[in-house]
Amino acid sequence: MKFKQKTLDNGLTIIGEVNASAVSASVGFFTRTGSRDEMPEVSGVSHFLEHMLFKGTDNLAALEVNEAFDKIGAQFNAFTSWENTVYYAAVLPEYLADVTTLWAKLMRPRLGDDDFNMEKNVIKEEIAMYKDTPQFEVLDQCFSLHFGDHPCGNSVLGTNESIDALTSGQMRDYFNRRYSPGNITVALAGNFEFEKICDLLASACGDWKPQQTDRVRDYFAGTRKKECVVKENLVREHICLISPSVSYQDERVFAASLFGMIVGDDTGSRMFWELVDTAIAETASLQCEAMDGVGVFYSYIRTSPGAADKVMGIVEKIFTDVIKNGVSEDELQKAKNKMLSNITIKNEVPMGRLIELGFNWVYMDKYVAVAEEVKKIKAVTTADVAEIAREFSLMGYSRYSIGPKSR
Amino acid sequence: MTKRTEIFRLSNGMTVIGEPMDSVGSVAFDFFLPAGVSVIPQGLCGVSMVIKDWIFRGAGENSSRKLTDKLDSLGLHRGEKVDSKHIIVGAALEAGNITEALNLYADIILRPRLEADQFDFSKQLALAELEGLNDDPRQKTSLKLREHFYPGPLGRSPLGIKNELESLTAEKTAELIGEYFDISRAIFSIAGKYDFEKICTQIETLFGSEKTKSKSPVFETDYTPGYAYEKYDGAQVHIGLMCPTVGPEHESYYDVRVAVAILSGGMSARLFTEVREKRGLCYAIGAGYKCIKEMAGVSCYAGTTPEKAQETYDVIIAEFGRLVAGISEEELARAKAGLKSALVMQSESSSARSINAGNDYHILGRVRSLDEIKEQIENVTIESVMKFLRENPFEKFTVVTIGSKEIKI
Repeated sequence: MKFKQKTLDNGLTIIGEVNASAVSASVGFFTRTGSRDEMPEVSGVSHFLEHMLFKGTDNLAALEVNEAFDKIGAQFNAFTSWENTVYYAAVLPEYLADVTTLWAKLMRPRLGDDDFNMEKNVIKEEIAMYKDTPQFEVLDQCFSLHFGDHPCGNSVLGTNESIDALTSGQMRDYFNRRYSPGNITVALAGNFEFEKICDLLASACGDWKPQQTDRVRDYFAGTRKKECVVKENLVREHICLISPSVSYQDERVFAASLFGMIVGDDTGSRMFWELVDTAIAETASLQCEAMDGVGVFYSYIRTSPGAADKVMGIVEKIFTDVIKNGVSEDELQKAKNKMLSNITIKNEVPMGRLIELGFNWVYMDKYVAVAEEVKKIKAVTTADVAEIAREFSLMGYSRYSIGPKSR
Repeated sequence: MTKRTEIFRLSNGMTVIGEPMDSVGSVAFDFFLPAGVSVIPQGLCGVSMVIKDWIFRGAGENSSRKLTDKLDSLGLHRGEKVDSKHIIVGAALEAGNITEALNLYADIILRPRLEADQFDFSKQLALAELEGLNDDPRQKTSLKLREHFYPGPLGRSPLGIKNELESLTAEKTAELIGEYFDISRAIFSIAGKYDFEKICTQIETLFGSEKTKSKSPVFETDYTPGYAYEKYDGAQVHIGLMCPTVGPEHESYYDVRVAVAILSGGMSARLFTEVREKRGLCYAIGAGYKCIKEMAGVSCYAGTTPEKAQETYDVIIAEFGRLVAGISEEELARAKAGLKSALVMQSESSSARSINAGNDYHILGRVRSLDEIKEQIENVTIESVMKFLRENPFEKFTVVTIGSKEIKI
């Protein structure tokens, strides 16, 4: 594996990890923007804009865009979160130049009114779809509850009302402010020639005008609010808990992730043994989500409405115990083994590696080789984990739950 | 050229399939145990879900807790699944830990402890999972579609039926495990970094003394189209539909795959273009090829708000019908490019390779190589697709909708 990096004069950064034995290559345009960068009057614009990039440019119609991707058999998509909008594609190595050129063109979209109005329908269907997916809805609502007035509380999708009210002019304005070359990182992974792709990007993106972009990055430990909402059509209780954690930039991020695994991994964790193994809840998990300047531990639990109080009693006991007593050597070692094995499996596919590579650069402005990551994970001690448990109390949680009846 | 698949048959009939891969550090394996939802006797629907949980609650010399601890210590990325014919248990892991992992899996499969108190937990979890289906109307649509499309036991939902699950006892379930964990009909697949000879020797040692117990069941495959509607007060109407087509063993199999890709392969495919891009009717819309050993079909899902449900359904049906009017050279080229590229990319994942090899062997009695599949896709022409579609048009749909509003079929 060889790492390479180049920054164009306008600030666009290109990074690549070359693996000459891979049978595919992937590219991602990591744009440092998401719902936390939105003002209330444009709620949902980051995600809507992600959809609009597929609608083409002044010289490329929407249908031509889709055909161009499909012609080369690209596996491609995009996603928007609270703080990132990522456009990516994986292709056979011979098509990487084509697909990178295509994305580069799409990053300067037409944003036409007809497409904008038609796509509003699709966005509202997506909002409706997630309303029928309680495990998503409960997480989204709990983020808003936990972060309150902090920008990370902004909804990614927005609401039907905010989408209806949004104008294409507002979207263009948002685009001009956020899609500045200095706010975008192009990451590449797999089998490709770095210099060739750099030349291509220099000519495709060299004339993008830089803009000053900023972001509120204040740390926030959360509101600790609790809300319980009744939704008559549900039969299970869906519970989300969010408490503070380290940011992506914090060097204790591996200790926090291992702590999350020990408390709430799908198998073998404390929540697994107390809640799932005993069939009190059918799902109970907890994980660390390190973000830009902030971070959270979040849990999702699904149980029967009648058992919700019992579940919360057990969860609080687990949390209190781990804060007081820390974790054992044995638990930490198991968590490390699982994490290391996950890394091996994920990184074997260029697409898996791409996301890690891109985010490391976006958040920390640096390259972290897999070997270095492995070393850092192995170095975590039970004292490191105990420190995380004490400093970022799981008991300081905000809770949002939906179910058939209130408790 | 891709490396050749390796196959070894134990004297008792169990098959070992290996898919060697260059430059990976992982290995993935799957045991296909012939105890799927369709093969279990009537009245016990859902027992396979209970079994797949129960067998992990202690095996051989290890208690439930010790067993999970040991599996976790090996860094196993576990996956258990119930399909129509099999309970599939498998994992992906770092290659160095495979020997120890297989020893533990031999205990899980041949010597599960099957303790009665643990059975109650497994049963409660299966019931909770079934109950939870109500809160996931999209998955419910897909299971109901399967139930209505496939006749009799072939359509059974892996999640089971409430009263049948409730009536299960530990004794009956243990008896079924004894009967249906028939090693002589089991398939073991492995992909990634491994030494095939060493694996075969280990599997032979662990499983070789197990004797034949049962015969493969035979199923009715009569198909009747129809419409089923279920009222649900959600935000969307969930539409599922499926029509019969030919299986992977058929000479026109690749013509079907290309036709389905033209309908729904990428974002330029017809369904996405007509339903989402031009009309804004849906966010989620897509069709795919589905098969079990006896039957195959093309299935389609769309989720849309109630007032758009009828139009969505009408446009989908029209697009299925319009295929027979002709396809273009460009569409054919894009469909082929998409299928081939998905194939190559999937080949980089040891987990995907292992499960595909096992499924291929179960359905076809052999494993298709990547080169063979690529060549067959390449051989498809407009004429071959059109000839197939004229003789076997996509029609006679089974339709399922779940939502606040019924549609006209």
